[in-house]
Amino acid sequence: MKIISKNWNKMDPLKIDSYVKNGGYEALRKVIREMKREDVIAEIKLSGLRGRGGAGFPTGEKWELAAKTKSPENFFICNLDESEPGVYKDRTIAKKNPHQIIEGLLIGAYAIGAKHAYIYINGHYQKPAEILEIALNQAREKEFVGGGIMGSPVDVEIQIFQGAGAYICGEETALIDTIEGKRGEPRLKPPYPPVSGLFGKPTAVNNAETLANVPYIIRRGAKVFSQIGSSVSPGTKLFVLEGAVKNRGIFEAPTGTTIQELVFNSIYGGGVEKGKDLWFVQIGGASGRLVSPAKMDQPLVYGAGDCPLGCGSVLVVDKSADPKDLLFAWADFFHRESCGKCVPCREGTFRLWEIAKRLKNNDLQKIDRENIEEILWTLSNTSFCPLGSFASVAWTDAIKMFEKEIFR
Amino acid sequence: MSLQKILLKHEPKPENLLKVLKEIQKENKYIGKKECEKVAEYFSLPLARVFSFASFFDEVETRKGGKKIIKVCSGGPCLMEDSREVVRQIELHLRIEAGNDAHPKYKLEFISCRGLCDQGPVVMVDDQVFERVRPEDVDDIIRNYL
Repeated sequence: MKIISKNWNKMDPLKIDSYVKNGGYEALRKVIREMKREDVIAEIKLSGLRGRGGAGFPTGEKWELAAKTKSPENFFICNLDESEPGVYKDRTIAKKNPHQIIEGLLIGAYAIGAKHAYIYINGHYQKPAEILEIALNQAREKEFVGGGIMGSPVDVEIQIFQGAGAYICGEETALIDTIEGKRGEPRLKPPYPPVSGLFGKPTAVNNAETLANVPYIIRRGAKVFSQIGSSVSPGTKLFVLEGAVKNRGIFEAPTGTTIQELVFNSIYGGGVEKGKDLWFVQIGGASGRLVSPAKMDQPLVYGAGDCPLGCGSVLVVDKSADPKDLLFAWADFFHRESCGKCVPCREGTFRLWEIAKRLKNNDLQKIDRENIEEILWTLSNTSFCPLGSFASVAWTDAIKMFEKEIFR
Repeated sequence: MSLQKILLKHEPKPENLLKVLKEIQKENKYIGKKECEKVAEYFSLPLARVFSFASFFDEVETRKGGKKIIKVCSGGPCLMEDSREVVRQIELHLRIEAGNDAHPKYKLEFISCRGLCDQGPVVMVDDQVFERVRPEDVDDIIRNYL
């Protein structure tokens, strides 16, 4: 079952006609000609679509809140910041089929009544940004974007905003702050962005993959979509398989697919690489949990289960990997990317990084072991935003699972 | 292009601040105090606000460089492709240590994911990106690009 990657091989990303020929912008036409704003939101709510960026918040509810908040102006933002290590699904959508994101964004902007929309793209994604810019210009020429879309009185202007390399800017309030010309430091929630977001106006922020699902839902109806995959969070998901797995790359699978199936089924991972011995799997990038082979039969869904699906990366680690290197890589990443706003995260990630360095150099001191536990607890319980608790997830799991190997 | 010209190309609206800084950096290589002052004046913002904003991002340099910076991705997928050995080779060849700023000409640092996980390990020399770097390629990169 494919929704997002269905036409990737047939499509020329630089030509809008190849998208239109495959049913592109039909959903936008339907929405503008036949549907009221409330109907669009109701349809998305009915479909059960949840955010594909990691948190899995119901998309329809977010739109409804942004549409209901009274304000002279509101905004829609497509989050294409994607900086979780090990994920490149949004980059791939932008490169293979940019119009799918643009169409989803236009429908979303129409639904909440936003005249201005932004695509916030990771500063390192130069090529995808250029492709999106070309796609936008073509869509503008065809009157899909800009003033008076398809001859209707609906205006939606889309602007591409390029970031400059900061993991935290994938967090929606930090992202909004960057557009406002402020340091990307998360805001206190509530108020949530759909109530008070960009420039204090109601703002819906959706991940690019989430938006890429929207045209399909409108075209085929919410009922069809809601029957795909798991009933908790229907639809498909782009999974990124990497590490010691035979077939690496992006695979689209229905939600609710088990980790076991993703790694071993020949249409996805095709098993562990020859001569390698499976050790564990990490789901969802550097902030993801570790799963031992015995627990790999759990389905990956949003909003249920004890292993969050996150952004959809599946890193297969074999026994030749050194846990100390992995621990250092995680600690180094979060220490570098902590924005510095709150003390637990700023100091906690720094101290954890120091300990990781000592661990790597086999120079661990006695007190470090106690400190690790204290730091991990503080990070996960007292940080201002999720980055702090993310920093502790993989470490906590690693210490639980292979304490002996680490502190040998 | 002069700084003034870059500024005048954009309206002094907050959403243009990052764009302007990146364009100035392209011309000037870094954004120092002088540049920050000009930008602050044009956008009618406090100098501290512009500098704190500029210094926040990985891609904006606030200090004059001069050193060649070699960057290696520290992400899990690159690690699984043996980026550790690549780092070791660079350290051996240049006699430097990752993260240490002591060498007068070179600096080796870890960077966060560049979204090129399918092309790992990723190594960068300044802005040049090298993909699928094997430990034996290090010699070639150092000889030709440093």
